[in-house]
Parts: sequence; structure tokens; C-alpha cells
Amino acid sequence: MFSSITTSRRSLLRAAGVGALAIGTPILRSAHAAGPMKIGVLIADSGPAALFGPAQRAAAELGAAAINAKGGILDRQVEIVFADAGAPPAEVSKSAVKLMLSDKVEMIFGSHDSAVRQGVENVVKGKIPYVYTPVFEGDDCTDNVYFLGEVPEQELQKTLPKLLEFAKGNTFYLVGDDYVWARTTNEKAKKYIAQIGGSVVAEDYYPFGAPNKFESTVTKIKSAKPAIVLQTLVGGDNVNFNRTFADFNLSDDIVRLSCLLEENTLMGIGKDASKNLYSALGYFADIDLPQNKAFIGELTNKYGDKAPQQCTISKGLYDAFVFAAAVSARSKSLAAKEFAMAAEGLSFDTPSGPMTMKRRHTEKNIFLSRCDGTKFTIVDTFTAVPTQQSCT
Amino acid sequence: MGSFLVRNGLILALLVLVPTFVGEFWAYQLGLYFLYALAAMGVGLTWGQAGILPLGQGMFVALSAYTAAYGLSGIGTSPLAFVVIPAAALGVALFGFLFSTVVFRGHSDRGPSFSLITLALTLAAFQIATTWSSVTGGFNGLRNIPGLPGLDGFLDLYYLIAVVLGLSIAFVDYLLRAPLGALWRAIADNERRLAFLGYDVAALKAVAFAVACWLAGLAGALYAPQQNLVTPDLAGFAFSGDLVIFAAVGGRATVLGPVIGAIVVGVLSAELRDRFPWWEIVIALFFIVVVLRLPGGLMTLFAPLERLRLARGQTPRASRAPDKPRAAAPLSVGFEDVRVRMGDVTILDGLSVKTGDEAVLCLIGPNGAGKTSALNVMTGALPKRGGRILIDGVDVLRPEPAAVARSGVGRKFQTPSVFPKLTIDENLAIALWSGRWRGFDLLRPSLFGWTTPLLDEMRRRFGFLGSGGKAASDLSHGERQILELTMALITEPRLLLLDEPCAGLSHEETAQVIDAIQWARQSLNLRIIIIEHDMELVRRLADRVVVLHQGRFLADGSVEEVQGNPDVRAVYVGGSR
Amino acid sequence: MESLLVTQAINVVYEVLILAVLVLGLAVVMGLLNVLNIAHGEFVMLGAYTAYTVQKAGFPYLAAVPAAAVVCGVIGLLVERFLIRPLRYDPFETLLATWGLGLLLRKLVELVFGRGFRSVDIPIGGSVSIFGEAYPTYRLVLMAIAVVVVVALFVWYARAATGARIRAMVGNPVLAEAVGIRTRQLARNTFVAGTAWAGIAGVMIAPLTPVEPFMGLTLIVNSFFALVVGGMGTVTGLFAGSTIIGGLQSVLSASVSPTTAYLAMLILSILFLWQRPRGLFPRP
Repeated sequence: MFSSITTSRRSLLRAAGVGALAIGTPILRSAHAAGPMKIGVLIADSGPAALFGPAQRAAAELGAAAINAKGGILDRQVEIVFADAGAPPAEVSKSAVKLMLSDKVEMIFGSHDSAVRQGVENVVKGKIPYVYTPVFEGDDCTDNVYFLGEVPEQELQKTLPKLLEFAKGNTFYLVGDDYVWARTTNEKAKKYIAQIGGSVVAEDYYPFGAPNKFESTVTKIKSAKPAIVLQTLVGGDNVNFNRTFADFNLSDDIVRLSCLLEENTLMGIGKDASKNLYSALGYFADIDLPQNKAFIGELTNKYGDKAPQQCTISKGLYDAFVFAAAVSARSKSLAAKEFAMAAEGLSFDTPSGPMTMKRRHTEKNIFLSRCDGTKFTIVDTFTAVPTQQSCT
Repeated sequence: MGSFLVRNGLILALLVLVPTFVGEFWAYQLGLYFLYALAAMGVGLTWGQAGILPLGQGMFVALSAYTAAYGLSGIGTSPLAFVVIPAAALGVALFGFLFSTVVFRGHSDRGPSFSLITLALTLAAFQIATTWSSVTGGFNGLRNIPGLPGLDGFLDLYYLIAVVLGLSIAFVDYLLRAPLGALWRAIADNERRLAFLGYDVAALKAVAFAVACWLAGLAGALYAPQQNLVTPDLAGFAFSGDLVIFAAVGGRATVLGPVIGAIVVGVLSAELRDRFPWWEIVIALFFIVVVLRLPGGLMTLFAPLERLRLARGQTPRASRAPDKPRAAAPLSVGFEDVRVRMGDVTILDGLSVKTGDEAVLCLIGPNGAGKTSALNVMTGALPKRGGRILIDGVDVLRPEPAAVARSGVGRKFQTPSVFPKLTIDENLAIALWSGRWRGFDLLRPSLFGWTTPLLDEMRRRFGFLGSGGKAASDLSHGERQILELTMALITEPRLLLLDEPCAGLSHEETAQVIDAIQWARQSLNLRIIIIEHDMELVRRLADRVVVLHQGRFLADGSVEEVQGNPDVRAVYVGGSR
Repeated sequence: MESLLVTQAINVVYEVLILAVLVLGLAVVMGLLNVLNIAHGEFVMLGAYTAYTVQKAGFPYLAAVPAAAVVCGVIGLLVERFLIRPLRYDPFETLLATWGLGLLLRKLVELVFGRGFRSVDIPIGGSVSIFGEAYPTYRLVLMAIAVVVVVALFVWYARAATGARIRAMVGNPVLAEAVGIRTRQLARNTFVAGTAWAGIAGVMIAPLTPVEPFMGLTLIVNSFFALVVGGMGTVTGLFAGSTIIGGLQSVLSASVSPTTAYLAMLILSILFLWQRPRGLFPRP
């Protein structure tokens, strides 16, 4: 397993002779060892999300370095053990077990899709804190799992009304990939659309992973003339749809809002296809906040030219370290109950501004940005947007 | 039997002892790869043995996993939950059997169509699994699947999986050494020959596929409680592709090959993928090398003489094969105005001829007259466009090779058509079993010991048939002709179709063959139709000669009558009327 | 709400023609040589990356066409020599070998270019008004090229000497050799032409599709099934397959739903594979 040494202090303890450790043994008590604290970090090294891999790795390493500089977690330096989350859920679960049993990690941070998350939740079984960082559909209340990513309610609640200022009406066309995140987001979107007095003209869903061509939907959009197209497409479909849309000359009159459009995908869409394309996320690499400047600064310092492009998917891992340090400073322990109690209501500062954990989800800044060529221009910032998740 | 038990007992013991060698976590990790190995064994079986490459086996694993998930959730903690595993596997096996029977009966083209169908199915299955969230849990999968009652912790489930794998290895091992295994290999070797011996090839293929689906089903059914989560990626093409890679890399023609492939590739991938970004390139290159050079896969390293040669410990005891019910009279054949066309070319142009009382009928005519085609259309190898074909006076609307063979027609082809990769004994055995096996006979290794007086006689006449362990491909052309003739004879047909039986034979061999043919004719009361060019042979054998020309009947009679016929002369010498 | 029927109709034709262009390389290789080149999508991908590189280097887009033909042709040459020929053009074996090849090519491109998306600018912008509805110019140009190419190919195959030689080789290789047709060279050239054409197809579609190392995988599915349904080895088959697979998906996608369209395409392919494994218009 790839180990990342974030500070000069090397691990002194290789837990010797700990052959078969049944999962029932509590491995969390700080009395366990005074050596470095290992944290398992699941990133996309393979699979469809692998384009985020290098950025995720960099963000995680920066996060570890940042908290180590301040004393680490519970006075122990933090050491990362990476594992590939791009493999099928069964294999990632296996990796998670290995992280817990062999590497003895005391926390797991994950930046991957929901199917993998469920697999990891199954094997972690709440024994150690599991911080899940990316954008996702919400509605998960598993014990000892903490969600830092944007949920649909956050992305849409404040941004949809704002978007009306840029659009020529309040009719919506929904386009998404046919799977749970997209469908859930659209269901929640419909409520907000109704609240602002808008209406949904049509919904199109595309099979996930199939060779999709979007001419038919684009033509239907052209004919239906909605004011806004709300997209929950991911990856190649996101790029393909937007390019086709622009190709058919619809970008002048119709505004597009994507629920997962970050810097890499925008590169793929290209400058010719991004007019009137908006994105609502909790982080963009060009945010003009001092925290972000510092973050990007550290990144450039460490990696120079090769610094991987950061986006909300990768930056979440940096947040995870900050979060974990903040919670454990309050809880003085990693045990589930203490950790959960300390986490509730805790605010911590991240490159995108402050985040507050409420009921295991995070209230955070949400940025509505417009695409300018292949860059994002922040159009509006909404602070402390609540998640409206009802976990206890 | 002894070596079977020893061999498989050792494997089972090894599997069960693994945790003591490598520790609990490794055992847990291996558990997952053992499940992959089970599914890969199925792929190896259909592909390596029967020559059918399934590109979508993952779909069956997924189907079983989802079914088992529901079963386990429904049954909960009662010990009845254990029944879910074989039940789900059985369900999937039945489905696989029905599905593949339908596909294999749909056409006779032996090509990659089955593979592409399974590919299309798996793509569709993935979409359905992702979209039909109410049933499958959608993209995020079906969660909260209970484990099996009484099995807690990683190790317990490992032992169950290890035992299932061990038993499955033994099961497949047994099948491959049983007559059924020989038949599967015969399909891969020469499917047409097998059909012409009267075997229902589609059914045999379907059985092979059903076994593969059973294995995939076991894998899926155990996956559900092991992971407590079933996601659509099981049905995806990537996983199905991995199974093929495991089988190819490990060695698809053997029992253990796919198992080793799954474990080696799986474990190495998991370990090296993170450290070594070039890992996937290495796998791709290795896979290409295996396809190019090492069709036997990694197993070739262990057993250089690859190709599962059934070196049976003891040759089974010789026993008398059951008699085949057989009508006493020879079979009669009639063509009434039969027409056959291939594209623009007319092959048979209203052929009308009937067999009479003669025992040996020689069919002669210039090249392209339609002699072989007449035999082909009669046995269903060519589609007929018009006219009627009567076998024993009954109009056979659509002749089909296996059915015609079962009604008592034996056929020897122009170029010797045997099973080259199988041994002489296996070739003969397969011919012998046709029409004689009942019920579960094909699972009994004792069938390899069957013999009949006719076969004994042929072995006496042709000594080389005695070196039974030799591969048929090692025989000379003449020996292969004789082997094929023997195979046709021991099915005890009522009508024997011979297409230039002495082509390529030495003078001596020709004499022996003619002698054997005449002896067989008498002892079986057999009718023979021979296509021949050598007039000397025709003179010696024929009771009646029929001359074909340009797809039509031209003349018939005794040899002298035909030779004296001016029409016939004109056709042979050149210039038609 | 305008119904935009003309646009929808052109969309259907567009999908059919683009599919024909993509399938062409595979049709040549699979239909004529019986080689199952499952890495066909990767050759298209290489063509697309060539287009990206050429455009980035500042050359006119048209230069990407010969560039891609050369890149994919050379790789095709190597593949024919080291993979296809040693396997004696056997369909199953080549399926496996080219699968490994596909894995290899994807990974190599990923290591060179990275996993992210590359954007290729559309060389001909703007739109043309057709019956009062605007349609993107570039797509119309592609459609025109597709028609010209397929018609030219049809005529060439039926009339030209090389076409006759290929038909002879395909129909009866032994006899073809006997009358002096150098089947080995002809087969090799046919294969290389197939891969080179796939590269050119990649150049054509690069501005319209997300360019990333795995793009070939999504293309190969439709291509394969278009061939098996339409029939291998004839230009009529190529057209029929593209029309049925591409057209069906496009029509259903617009009128019902894209997921239904995709599943319908798969089910139709299965039915064809089951009942008419050689397709509608196979090589006789």
C-alpha cells in the first residue's frame, strides 16, 4: 500500500505481532500507541473518476501536512495510507478491511461514489469515524459517518432563485443520467422550482455508461424553449451534452445549471460551449477567499508546475483533515460517541470558507458561478447554506 | 476413482488450511477471489471444453446475488437460509440452460454470435440493474443483506467459500473426465461430426452452459452474504471481461487454470495496482502473450503437455455396450424432384431417384454433378428448395443431421472427419455411445469401457486402432479414413453413406477397407451408398450404379449397363447432349 | 413550441451516417477478413487524440486527417503483423488479442495525455437553415462526407480491380492465391485500411464527442451490433445496420426515452444474433 509520509517523523511503531485481529477488538483508544495516527484515504486511482486522482492525493497530503504542523490529531502526527476507490465496491471494501486490520488506520476519509460508500460502510460498521467528502444525494444516516459534501438541497435552494435573474423565464428542463444521485437531485429540485413559481417542462434521463448521443434531447429543448436547463449529468455525458447544446446554438437564449460541473469537466466542454453555463458547488479553485489563496499557495509551493487542478471533489479531502483535527481537539478521543458529540455544531475553516457540522452533514458556503471560457467566475456566494438532512 | 479422491481431497485440504498459513485478513481477501474463481471456472469450462466463449457471465453472478439477497433478507436467521445458496444457483443454472437451449437451437452457425448475445445481455442487465432501483437498489445497490446465520467474522465465511470451491473443483474435474466431458471436447473439436453421429449438440452445449451458470450462481449467492451489498457492477461488462481474462491467463482447458488465473491476477492486481501505475499495461501485455503463445495459460508452466489428456489411472473394465434398437431392414431413401440452390448457383436441379433392393449403390458422375450435395441435402447439411426427400417412405420436411443420424444413417465424409484432438479410444467411444446411452450414463466413466462385437472385429482387422491413447491428429490420412469408417460402422446404421472411402489409401489399405465394408454390410444387413470415382472399386462393390449429371438423374443400372450407356459416355468424355 | 420535425429527422439521418462512418473501419476488417477487432474503438480514439494534438499545435484541422490515417495505419500495420497474422485471422483468437490490445492502448494514451477530457474545437462553426430550422454546419458537412465516402466505397468495391481482388480473396482464398492474387499483402492492406479509416473517423467526430482515453469503449458497442444486424461484408449491410441500430436509437430516444432506446437496441441485436446470426445482408 502506498504510504505517504507527510512529516519528517517516521513511524516508530510497526504494530508487531498483531496477526489476526478480530474486528471486535477496540482499536481506537488513544492508549493504543503514542506513535503516528494512520488515516486511510480512499481516492480514485482507477475507473471513471480517475481524473481526480492526482488532485485528491495532493489535497489529502496538504491536509495532513497542515494539521501536522499544528500538532496533528490528539497530539499525534498523522500519516496517510492511500487506497484505490475506483475499483468495484467489493474490492474497495476489501481495501477498507485491509486498512483497518493490517494498517490499523483509525479513521477513513473517502472521495468516491455512493455504491463504494455503501460497501465501505458495510465493513467499517461504525467502528471508526468515516468521513465521506464528495457531492452526493444525501439521505444517508449511517452511524459514525460524517458527510462533508454538497447535497442537492444545498446546491439548489438558494441558487435557483438567483439563477432566475440571469434567465429569460422560469421554465425548467431537467436532463440527467439515469441513476440515484441524478433522480434524487431532480426530485428535490422540483420542490424548489415549485417554490419559486417555476415549472418543469420535461425530464430526460440517459442510461448510465451507455454510448449516449444528445441530439434528440437538445432538439426537444430547442423546441420547448425552456428558460433554464438543469443538468445532473456526469462525466462524459456532461461534456457531450453541453457541447451538443452549444453546437445547436442554444447557449444564447437558454441558461444551463449543472449540479456537478467542476474544473476538469469544464476543460472538456471547452470555451466555445460554455456560454451561459452555470455551476453551483461548494468550492471552485478560483474563489477569492484568503483561505483558498493560502490553500492554492501551499499547493503551488509543494508541487510547482505539476500541481493538479483542484476542484470540489478533491478539496473535500483537505477539509476532512481539518474537520478531524477540529473534532478530536474537542472530543479528546476517537470513540464513536465522543466523536459524534464533539462534531455536532462544530465549525471549522476550509479553503471555501467556514463549514459547520449539523447532524453529521455540513452547512457551508455555496457558490454560484458562471463559466467564462474555461474558467469559473463567481457570481454569488451564499453563506452557511443548511443541508436540510434529518439525521440524528 | 482413487486418484480422483486423492487429487481433490488435497485441493480441498489446501484451501481449508490457507488461513493458518496466511492469516485472517488474507483469508478474507482470498474469499472474494475464490468467488471470482468459481465464476471463472464456468467460463473456462464452456470456453476451454465446449468452445463457447461467454462474454457476459457476470450477469448470472449478479442475478444469483440479487436473488440470494432477497432470499436471505426474507428468511433471516433460520438455518433455512443456507438453502438459499444452492437454490439461487440452481435457479440461475436453469435459466442459463433454457436461455442457451433457445439460442443454440436458433441457428446452426458456429460463430461468435453466442458470445455477442451474452455481451448484449450483460450490457442490458447492467442498465436494468442501475435503473430499476425499486427492485435492485439501483446504482447504490441492495444493502443490508444479512449474513448467513451462525457465521460471524471473516473466517467462518471463508471456510464455507473454500469448501464450496473445493467441492466445485471436484465436480468439474469429475465432469471433464466423464463421457460428458469428452462430448464437450468433441463439440469444440468437430461439431459437425458430433451432430452426424446423432448427438443433440445444442442440448450438450446448453448443459455445459448450465453448469457454468450453476458455478456463477454459487459465486453470486455467496457474494451477497459476504459483502452484504450487491451492486450493478457485477452485471457490468468489466467484471465479465475480467472472468474471461482469468480463464485465459490461468489456462482455460484445465479445471484449475481459471482458479489460478482468478487468484493470481486478482491478488496481484489488488496489491500492485496502487504501487505501480504500469500494472494494467503489464496485465494487458501478458494477456496478449497468452493469446498468442500460451493458449494453455499459466497452467502450461505446470503441465507442459497441455490439453487435458485423460490419463486415466486404470483403463475402465471392458464391458458389453447395451444393444441399440435397430430395425432389421436396411433404410430406404427417395428423392423426388429435389432442388437445391446456393445463391445463384443451382446445385440440384430436380433430382429424382429411389433406392430399391440393391445393397450397395454407387453414385457416380462428373465433378459438380451433385453427388455430395445429394447426400448433404438428405442429411440436412444443405437446405432444400424444392421437392421431397423420403426416408423409409416418410417425407422428411426438414432434414436435420442429428435426427437423420438417429434414424439410422451413418455418414463418412470425403475428407476424414474425426475428432483430431481426442484420442482414438475417445473417438470410437463417442461413436459407440450414440443411441445407446440412457439417463445419467454420460456421467459414468465406465462408458469408456464399452465395446461391441463389431468394434472388436474392426479392432482385429485394423491393428492401429489398438493404440487407443494416440491422438487422432497423429494418424496418417489413411488411418483417419479408416477410423472414421469404423466410427460410422459401430453406430450400426441401416444406411451407410460413404464419400470416396478409399481416397488417399494405399493399395493394401484399400483392400482391407473393401473387405471390412463387405463384411459389415452382411453382418448388419446394411445398405450402402458410395460416391466413387474409381471405376475399379465401383465394379467390385456396386450392385447398382446411379449416374448424376448437372444436378439431375442421368442413368442407372448395373456397372456394364451404365458403362455402355451413350448418354453417360457423352457426359464423361465431354460435350453434353 | 415548434415541433422541429425537420431537425429531429436530420438528427436521425445524422446518427445513421455517423454510425456508418464509425462502423466502416470495423466493417472492412470484420466483414471482409473475419477479424473481430474489438480495439476498433481505440483506433477511433487515437484518431481523435491525433486531431487534438494537430489542432493544439496550430495546424489546420484538415491536416489531422492524413495525420490520423498515418498514425492508425502504422499501428494497424504492427497489429496485423504481430497479432492478427500469427493468429491466422481466427475470429475468436483475434477477439481476445485485440481486447488485450485495447487495454494496452487505453492505458498508454492515459499515461501520455492523462485521464481528463480534452476539448477539440469545432473547425466549421455556425449553422445552416434547412426548411426554416437551423442545423449546425459541421454536422451537415460530416453527413455529406459520410455519404460521399460510403457511395464511393460501394462503387469502388464493385468496380475497381482491387475491389474485385478483395472479393475474390474473401470468397475463395485458396483459389485467389492460385490465380496470382497476393492474398497476404491484400489482407494486410485491407486491415490497415480499416484501422486508418477508424482513425479518420476519430478526427471527424472529435469535435463532437468527449475526448478521453476510454471513449473507444462506448463506441464499440453500437459498432459491433450495427454490423451483426446489418450483415457483414457488404456495403448494403453496413448501411442497413447503421440505419437500424442508429436510426432506432435516435427515434426512440426522441420519442420515448434514451434508456428505452438503448435497451431496445440491445434486445434487437440479441434477436438478430439469435435468428439471423449473419445479419440482414451478409456476404453471400
